Amino acid sequence: MRQFFPVEDLARDERFVQTNMAERMKDGRTAIDVEKTSSAKSRGATKRLTPERHDASDAARGLMHGIMVGEIQALEGAGRTAHDFAAGDGTNDTVPFELKLDMARQAWDEARHVEISAKLSDWMGTELGEFAENTVLFEAACSNDPILRLAGVNRALEGLAIDVFTQMKEFGDVAGDPFLEFCEDWMLADEVTHVKMGSDWLRKVTANDPERRTKALEFQQVVDKLFSFGGARGESADSSFSLAKRFRELAGFTDDEVTHVKMGSDWLRKVTANDPERRTKALEFQQVVDKLFSFGGARGESADSSFSLAKRFRELAGFTDDEVETISQMDAEALEERKEAVRKYRERVGADA
Amino acid sequence: MGNGAVDAHESTARAPFAPWDRRDIPGSFSVDETARRVGNYKWTEMKLFEALGGWVATVPELDVKMRLGTHCYHHAWHADLWHKRLPELREMKPERLTVPANEAMERFIAAMTEPEAPELTIEKLVGVYRVLIPRFIAAYTYHRNNTSEITDAPTIRSINFILQDEFDDWRDGEMLLQSMITTPDHVRRAAEHQERLEAIMVEAGGITGPDSIGTAETTSTEGGA
Amino acid sequence: MSDAAAQVSTAKVTVSPDEFTFVKYDSAEIATIVAELAEQLELANPIKVIVDETTPLAKVSEEIDAASSDATITLHAESGALEDRKHPMSFSADVARESLGRILLRAHDRMRSDFADAPADLDLTLEQNAAWDTYCAGRLARMGVRVNQQRWRYNHRNRFGFHDDVDAHFNQLWAADDLSWSAISR
Repeated sequence: MRQFFPVEDLARDERFVQTNMAERMKDGRTAIDVEKTSSAKSRGATKRLTPERHDASDAARGLMHGIMVGEIQALEGAGRTAHDFAAGDGTNDTVPFELKLDMARQAWDEARHVEISAKLSDWMGTELGEFAENTVLFEAACSNDPILRLAGVNRALEGLAIDVFTQMKEFGDVAGDPFLEFCEDWMLADEVTHVKMGSDWLRKVTANDPERRTKALEFQQVVDKLFSFGGARGESADSSFSLAKRFRELAGFTDDEVTHVKMGSDWLRKVTANDPERRTKALEFQQVVDKLFSFGGARGESADSSFSLAKRFRELAGFTDDEVETISQMDAEALEERKEAVRKYRERVGADA
Repeated sequence: MGNGAVDAHESTARAPFAPWDRRDIPGSFSVDETARRVGNYKWTEMKLFEALGGWVATVPELDVKMRLGTHCYHHAWHADLWHKRLPELREMKPERLTVPANEAMERFIAAMTEPEAPELTIEKLVGVYRVLIPRFIAAYTYHRNNTSEITDAPTIRSINFILQDEFDDWRDGEMLLQSMITTPDHVRRAAEHQERLEAIMVEAGGITGPDSIGTAETTSTEGGA
Repeated sequence: MSDAAAQVSTAKVTVSPDEFTFVKYDSAEIATIVAELAEQLELANPIKVIVDETTPLAKVSEEIDAASSDATITLHAESGALEDRKHPMSFSADVARESLGRILLRAHDRMRSDFADAPADLDLTLEQNAAWDTYCAGRLARMGVRVNQQRWRYNHRNRFGFHDDVDAHFNQLWAADDLSWSAISR
């Protein structure tokens, strides 16, 4: 078996169709929708999943399917991290033995979550594979540095899962759904454990390597912002995924980290003490992934633009130079084509479009 | 005395072993030998959980995918139990004894984990559930039945918990295999892969080497201590 | 049946836009699907289909300019309502048939005199919407259109509650064929 497993080889039966960030960014409708003024009756008025939305059931179904395929990828990511790195002291290509055990435990937890999500999908009338599967979660688990995997998956994406599950739990509670709230609460408990695992290991393994720790936290921020749909993640009641601050505190984030992600503690410093470049790289990766998904944020060609961020993501995630350049060119061309198409469409239908 | 008070002269001396407690001292393994075996168990359980975890992303069948994730944890927990047992057997550096029994066991694991393509789920399951786990069940059963019930009670306790998992996991895997092997070609593939792996395991002698399940010459000490 | 006779007439169905820019939809294909559904419902009215391709959302609605057989039926659909959910920006005939079939059935219902009191689509309460959707989805399923009953049952439960009597209400609406507006909105 190969040591590292590429996202394009993820095994699926014929019901599932996978898409990735590049494909999703080609959807011109997304860009236009973000710029459009929301009407009171449109979903843009509130992104929060509540039973009052006219499309509440279908939105919940789509979200649950997204959760399910996310859990499949989380299971695969945890399994790969348990496999890919030999037991050791955490330097080079090794991880502490106990970290491998924690990843195996996470694999079990995620397998249960897939089971729960599959049952809930059945309950909600969703077919397996009904929606396209975005592979971004597994992509965040592909780094050759296990610490970046923990930062991107356990701290950022599992932290997102806490927000999403909290919202689904509230949705189920308000709707009176006897299963949804129950199931989401059980999954929530597990996700808090996973985020804490990621926090603890990130601190321990990089205790002597501040550069590696910085890089890991940057990666976490990138992944975090990647999922800030329309920039609506925040702590206001109207945001799509409210931060569920209390859960983050329980999961091992310090007060400062809840508000501003900051560098942590002894373990993180220790392991990366002699590898400042590794820490810097991890932190940068986190920030790139974080910003890349700031839908509604800067879309252009500045250093913070989606495409510049996507390029840097690939560089840090281990794509070859050729692959990075080729995809970056394709992304830039696609963006120009979409801009041109929008301009022509608006000219044709008039300023009211 | 009729009021329930305790007779101060009633003796509290009892035999150290209740009449129904037939456990005895003799066991086949010294502390060092036990540590060696436990190190082999740990190494093999680690290789198994790594393989199961790595395979999750490679199998398209959803039910198999989830089972592998669950079983990955079971064997990781077994490895952890052995990891904690080693220092109790005077091995303060567990990694020193966390080794394969011999070179053939290394080759076995390499052969078992070699199938990776998504269409090779049958081969992956056969290696684990028709070759390795039955060997685990055999080695653990032999160890439990031959070690000292009194001096090595902690190992027996761990083996009992582990064996429960091994039997449950073996059943899960075997049922998955039976549901997937539905054509003569499937049968052939399963049999050929099992034959390949069994041949290497026979070379190795088992998870702890040639005496994994004892030999005709192996006897426990006769008589009491 | 000859090929010519088998071909449904799309003469009375217009689709806007003529050509799509942001999604890979074909207006002729949409027109054919609507024409086939109209024929099954014995609807001879002119039908306008307006697709908003600037949004990936999936809201659908209908309106008629009069309750008569020559009234124009207008179907509004956001592009997500016709989309292949596995292949974003691609068209799905099955999804389109279900989405457009539902609102075509509503338009057909509005032709009845006992639907004179039914509010316009955008003015329906969430519960009225859900009940009418259940009634339409059940009939669509019997017309041979691919419909996931559990999806609509879940939608109905979300609006009315997770109780046995709500399920009974769902079953009644799903199996019904000839209801008035007051019977649906009760």
